[in-house]
Amino acid sequence: MKTITFITIVLVSGAIAGFVHGTINFALVEPYLDQAIGLENESLFASGEAEDTLEFWAEYESYRIWQKSGQVLAGVILGLAMGSLFGIVYALSRNSLPGKNDVTRSVILAGIMWLTIYIIPFLKYPANPPTVGDGETVMLRAILYVSFIALSGIGVVIFYKLSQKLQNNKKYFGLFGYVIFIIILFFVMPENPDEITAPMNLVNEFRFMSVLGVSSFWLSVGLILGLFWKKFEK
Amino acid sequence: MSRTEQLSVSKTSVSKIAILALAIVFAAGLFVVGFDQGHIFSLVYGEQAFVDLTIHELTHDMRHAAGFPCH
Repeated sequence: MKTITFITIVLVSGAIAGFVHGTINFALVEPYLDQAIGLENESLFASGEAEDTLEFWAEYESYRIWQKSGQVLAGVILGLAMGSLFGIVYALSRNSLPGKNDVTRSVILAGIMWLTIYIIPFLKYPANPPTVGDGETVMLRAILYVSFIALSGIGVVIFYKLSQKLQNNKKYFGLFGYVIFIIILFFVMPENPDEITAPMNLVNEFRFMSVLGVSSFWLSVGLILGLFWKKFEK
Repeated sequence: MSRTEQLSVSKTSVSKIAILALAIVFAAGLFVVGFDQGHIFSLVYGEQAFVDLTIHELTHDMRHAAGFPCH
């Protein structure tokens, strides 16, 4: 495949999948964000940090519109980023992935990446709505989250390479090794330092919708890149 | 037999330049959506960018929804 074709199909598939992600978030996640920010505002009024005035609500409306309008655009930017990573991994691993054609192989890889660099890190550091989270710890939480994703992603590559060197049933030791590695990571990595003060039903419903949104991205990018690859490969 | 398999596994039909370009898009896009707290606009607007948080606010809702720590 030509370089320009490869880059184009990777970026277009990432952008489309990101658009799908942003649109689904707009429909499913936004109501929970509004609810959580409402609680945040009540807390500000109660503590005296802000006053329930027309000026407050005018300012609030202006930045909330900016935040909401960015949902789909940010989805496309994140889609370009994660789609690029997906395209790189697909190009490098395509010949060793199971599946009859590029669509199947691409969807299988999307499933593997969804599990290893999204769902497993999510189980340790789940998404939180706005009212949860102390601004003082945001850097620490970002480092923990990214480290877990990176370690899980690197871990799956290392244990996959290891399994390739083994024969027959011993190949399963690679999978077993990865599971043990993740269990150790769960115990070794520090917990999220912030206490959850928001109602747990709000937090849990937000997390569920968040998972649906991100999952829509991985399913879309797997399908679209696979279809593009099948069409444009020479 | 095993030699043939190894060759087919390691062979890739895409250039290193493409991989590098996409790696840059990945890093830049991830930083914009997941982690910018005024850093990018501070290159132009200086310290005020850390107060305005323009990109942070634009990506705020996606940041929460995608699982990134926000505030």
